[in-house]
Amino acid sequence: MSEKKIKNIFMDGAISPAFIADSIAQHSTKTAIGGHSIFMGQVRRDEINGKFVAAIDYTTYQEVALAKMHEIREAIFEKYPLSCMHVHHSLGKIKAGEICLFVFTSSAHRKPAIDACNELVERIKAELPIWGKEIFEDESHQWKENI
Amino acid sequence: MKLEIISFGKISEFITGQEIEVSEIDNTDQLQQYLETSFPQLLGMKYKLAVNQNIIQANQQLTENDQVAIMPPFSGG
Repeated sequence: MSEKKIKNIFMDGAISPAFIADSIAQHSTKTAIGGHSIFMGQVRRDEINGKFVAAIDYTTYQEVALAKMHEIREAIFEKYPLSCMHVHHSLGKIKAGEICLFVFTSSAHRKPAIDACNELVERIKAELPIWGKEIFEDESHQWKENI
Repeated sequence: MKLEIISFGKISEFITGQEIEVSEIDNTDQLQQYLETSFPQLLGMKYKLAVNQNIIQANQQLTENDQVAIMPPFSGG
Protein backbone atom coordinates (compact mmCIF):
# COMPACT_ATOMS: atom_id res chain seq x y z
CA MET A 1 0.00 0.00 0.00
CA SER A 2 1.34 3.44 -0.90
CA GLU A 3 2.02 6.25 1.53
CA LYS A 4 -0.80 8.32 0.08
CA LYS A 5 -3.28 9.56 2.63
CA ILE A 6 -6.39 7.44 3.04
CA LYS A 7 -9.40 9.51 1.98
CA ASN A 8 -12.64 9.42 3.88
CA ILE A 9 -15.42 8.58 1.43
CA PHE A 10 -18.17 8.75 4.03
CA MET A 11 -20.52 11.62 4.71
CA ASP A 12 -23.39 11.84 7.15
CA GLY A 13 -26.73 12.06 5.43
CA ALA A 14 -27.72 12.28 1.79
CA ILE A 15 -25.44 13.59 -0.95
CA SER A 16 -27.05 16.80 -2.16
CA PRO A 17 -27.46 17.66 -5.85
CA ALA A 18 -25.67 20.94 -5.04
CA PHE A 19 -22.63 19.01 -3.75
CA ILE A 20 -22.56 17.00 -6.97
CA ALA A 21 -22.93 20.10 -9.15
CA ASP A 22 -20.12 21.80 -7.25
CA SER A 23 -17.93 18.74 -7.65
CA ILE A 24 -18.45 18.87 -11.43
CA ALA A 25 -17.78 22.61 -11.53
CA GLN A 26 -14.44 22.16 -9.77
CA HIS A 27 -13.12 20.32 -12.81
CA SER A 28 -13.48 23.21 -15.26
CA THR A 29 -9.89 24.27 -14.59
CA LYS A 30 -8.59 20.77 -15.38
CA THR A 31 -8.53 21.23 -19.13
CA ALA A 32 -6.75 17.99 -19.99
CA ILE A 33 -9.99 16.20 -19.13
CA GLY A 34 -12.19 15.29 -22.09
CA GLY A 35 -14.73 12.99 -20.47
CA HIS A 36 -16.42 12.51 -17.13
CA SER A 37 -18.44 9.54 -16.01
CA ILE A 38 -20.78 9.73 -13.05
CA PHE A 39 -22.78 7.13 -11.19
CA MET A 40 -25.30 8.09 -8.55
CA GLY A 41 -27.06 5.60 -6.34
CA GLN A 42 -30.53 6.65 -5.21
CA VAL A 43 -32.58 5.07 -2.45
CA ARG A 44 -35.44 3.23 -4.12
CA ARG A 45 -38.94 3.13 -2.66
CA ASP A 46 -39.16 -0.63 -3.04
CA GLU A 47 -42.40 -2.40 -2.29
CA ILE A 48 -41.83 -5.55 -0.23
CA ASN A 49 -44.82 -7.59 0.89
CA GLY A 50 -47.11 -4.61 0.53
CA LYS A 51 -44.87 -2.23 2.49
CA PHE A 52 -42.82 0.59 1.01
CA VAL A 53 -39.22 1.44 1.85
CA ALA A 54 -39.15 4.93 3.36
CA ALA A 55 -35.38 5.16 3.97
CA ILE A 56 -32.17 3.18 4.21
CA ASP A 57 -30.00 3.53 7.30
CA TYR A 58 -26.36 2.93 6.34
CA THR A 59 -23.63 1.81 8.73
CA THR A 60 -20.05 0.71 8.07
CA TYR A 61 -16.96 -0.84 9.57
CA GLN A 62 -15.15 2.36 8.80
CA GLU A 63 -11.48 1.46 9.26
CA VAL A 64 -11.81 -1.65 7.12
CA ALA A 65 -13.97 0.09 4.50
CA LEU A 66 -11.53 2.99 4.09
CA ALA A 67 -8.50 0.71 3.85
CA LYS A 68 -10.28 -1.42 1.25
CA MET A 69 -11.40 1.68 -0.67
CA HIS A 70 -7.81 2.89 -0.70
CA GLU A 71 -6.72 -0.43 -2.19
CA ILE A 72 -9.48 -0.26 -4.84
CA ARG A 73 -8.60 3.35 -5.66
CA GLU A 74 -4.94 2.45 -6.23
CA ALA A 75 -5.87 -0.55 -8.40
CA ILE A 76 -8.23 1.51 -10.56
CA PHE A 77 -5.68 4.30 -11.02
CA GLU A 78 -3.17 1.65 -12.03
CA LYS A 79 -5.52 0.05 -14.54
CA TYR A 80 -7.01 3.13 -16.24
CA PRO A 81 -5.46 6.44 -17.35
CA LEU A 82 -7.63 8.64 -15.13
CA SER A 83 -7.19 12.30 -14.28
CA CYS A 84 -9.55 12.20 -11.30
CA MET A 85 -11.57 9.83 -9.16
CA HIS A 86 -14.05 10.81 -6.47
CA VAL A 87 -16.17 8.50 -4.33
CA HIS A 88 -18.71 9.53 -1.71
CA HIS A 89 -21.01 7.24 0.26
CA SER A 90 -23.68 8.25 2.75
CA LEU A 91 -24.01 7.01 6.30
CA GLY A 92 -27.12 7.29 8.45
CA LYS A 93 -30.70 7.51 7.36
CA ILE A 94 -31.21 8.38 3.68
CA LYS A 95 -34.78 8.85 2.51
CA ALA A 96 -36.23 7.28 -0.64
CA GLY A 97 -35.37 9.50 -3.59
CA GLU A 98 -32.17 10.83 -2.06
CA ILE A 99 -28.65 10.13 -3.34
CA CYS A 100 -26.52 7.77 -1.23
CA LEU A 101 -23.58 7.00 -3.55
CA PHE A 102 -21.67 9.30 -5.89
CA VAL A 103 -18.84 7.94 -8.05
CA PHE A 104 -17.13 10.36 -10.42
CA THR A 105 -14.24 9.56 -12.78
CA SER A 106 -12.56 11.76 -15.37
CA SER A 107 -10.04 11.12 -18.12
CA ALA A 108 -8.77 12.59 -21.37
CA HIS A 109 -11.14 10.38 -23.37
CA ARG A 110 -14.47 8.82 -22.51
CA LYS A 111 -13.70 5.09 -22.38
CA PRO A 112 -11.39 4.90 -19.37
CA ALA A 113 -13.73 7.20 -17.42
CA ILE A 114 -16.77 5.03 -18.20
CA ASP A 115 -15.04 1.69 -17.59
CA ALA A 116 -13.37 2.85 -14.37
CA CYS A 117 -16.65 4.24 -13.06
CA ASN A 118 -18.46 0.95 -13.73
CA GLU A 119 -15.73 -1.12 -12.13
CA LEU A 120 -15.62 1.15 -9.09
CA VAL A 121 -19.36 0.86 -8.50
CA GLU A 122 -19.24 -2.94 -8.75
CA ARG A 123 -16.27 -3.20 -6.39
CA ILE A 124 -17.74 -0.72 -3.88
CA LYS A 125 -20.94 -2.76 -3.67
CA ALA A 126 -19.15 -6.11 -3.41
CA GLU A 127 -16.12 -5.31 -1.28
CA LEU A 128 -16.81 -2.46 1.14
CA PRO A 129 -18.18 -3.43 4.55
CA ILE A 130 -21.27 -1.25 4.45
CA TRP A 131 -24.75 -2.35 5.48
CA GLY A 132 -28.11 -0.87 4.55
CA LYS A 133 -31.12 -1.28 6.80
CA GLU A 134 -34.32 -0.73 4.82
CA ILE A 135 -36.80 1.12 6.99
CA PHE A 136 -40.42 0.83 5.96
CA GLU A 137 -43.10 3.47 6.30
CA ASP A 138 -44.47 1.68 9.40
CA GLU A 139 -40.97 1.83 11.08
CA SER A 140 -40.38 -1.92 10.73
CA HIS A 141 -37.20 -2.88 8.92
CA GLN A 142 -35.25 -5.51 7.02
CA TRP A 143 -31.59 -5.68 6.04
CA LYS A 144 -30.84 -4.90 2.41
CA GLU A 145 -29.07 -7.48 0.28
CA ASN A 146 -27.09 -6.52 -2.80
CA ILE A 147 -27.92 -8.46 -5.94
CA MET B 1 -7.94 -16.12 26.20
CA LYS B 2 -9.72 -12.79 26.06
CA LEU B 3 -11.22 -11.65 22.75
CA GLU B 4 -13.16 -8.59 21.76
CA ILE B 5 -16.17 -9.33 19.57
CA ILE B 6 -17.82 -6.68 17.43
CA SER B 7 -20.63 -7.17 14.96
CA PHE B 8 -22.39 -5.34 12.16
CA GLY B 9 -25.62 -5.18 10.20
CA LYS B 10 -28.22 -7.83 10.89
CA ILE B 11 -25.81 -9.70 13.19
CA SER B 12 -25.53 -6.68 15.51
CA GLU B 13 -29.19 -7.24 16.40
CA PHE B 14 -28.37 -10.43 18.30
CA ILE B 15 -24.63 -10.20 19.05
CA THR B 16 -23.68 -6.97 20.75
CA GLY B 17 -20.13 -5.78 21.16
CA GLN B 18 -18.58 -7.68 24.05
CA GLU B 19 -15.45 -9.12 25.52
CA ILE B 20 -15.43 -12.87 25.81
CA GLU B 21 -13.19 -15.12 27.83
CA VAL B 22 -12.68 -18.44 26.08
CA SER B 23 -10.60 -21.49 26.75
CA GLU B 24 -9.55 -24.12 24.25
CA ILE B 25 -10.03 -21.76 21.34
CA ASP B 26 -6.97 -20.73 19.45
CA ASN B 27 -8.11 -20.18 15.89
CA THR B 28 -11.00 -18.64 13.98
CA ASP B 29 -12.53 -21.99 12.96
CA GLN B 30 -12.90 -22.90 16.63
CA LEU B 31 -14.22 -19.43 17.44
CA GLN B 32 -16.78 -19.79 14.66
CA GLN B 33 -18.04 -23.05 16.20
CA TYR B 34 -18.21 -21.39 19.60
CA LEU B 35 -20.16 -18.45 18.17
CA GLU B 36 -22.61 -20.68 16.31
CA THR B 37 -23.26 -22.63 19.49
CA SER B 38 -23.70 -19.48 21.59
CA PHE B 39 -25.72 -17.66 18.94
CA PRO B 40 -27.66 -20.24 16.90
CA GLN B 41 -29.13 -17.43 14.78
CA LEU B 42 -25.76 -17.45 12.98
CA LEU B 43 -26.40 -20.95 11.66
CA GLY B 44 -27.39 -20.83 8.04
CA MET B 45 -26.36 -17.17 7.73
CA LYS B 46 -23.55 -16.04 5.49
CA TYR B 47 -20.93 -14.04 7.31
CA LYS B 48 -17.25 -13.19 7.28
CA LEU B 49 -14.81 -12.56 10.09
CA ALA B 50 -12.18 -9.88 10.36
CA VAL B 51 -9.33 -10.17 12.85
CA ASN B 52 -7.81 -6.88 13.95
CA GLN B 53 -9.43 -5.15 10.97
CA ASN B 54 -8.24 -7.68 8.38
CA ILE B 55 -10.93 -9.68 6.64
CA ILE B 56 -9.87 -13.30 6.72
CA GLN B 57 -10.44 -15.86 3.97
CA ALA B 58 -9.14 -18.95 5.77
CA ASN B 59 -8.62 -20.25 9.29
CA GLN B 60 -6.30 -18.05 11.31
CA GLN B 61 -4.58 -18.26 14.69
CA LEU B 62 -5.98 -16.03 17.42
CA THR B 63 -4.01 -14.39 20.18
CA GLU B 64 -4.89 -12.65 23.42
CA ASN B 65 -6.88 -9.42 23.01
CA ASP B 66 -7.57 -9.88 19.32
CA GLN B 67 -10.55 -8.01 18.01
CA VAL B 68 -12.84 -10.18 15.92
CA ALA B 69 -15.56 -8.62 13.77
CA ILE B 70 -18.54 -10.62 12.53
CA MET B 71 -19.88 -9.25 9.27
CA PRO B 72 -22.96 -10.29 7.29
CA PRO B 73 -22.95 -9.85 3.48
CA PHE B 74 -22.26 -6.25 2.45
CA SER B 75 -25.05 -4.08 1.08
CA GLY B 76 -23.60 -0.66 0.38
CA GLY B 77 -24.40 1.59 -2.53
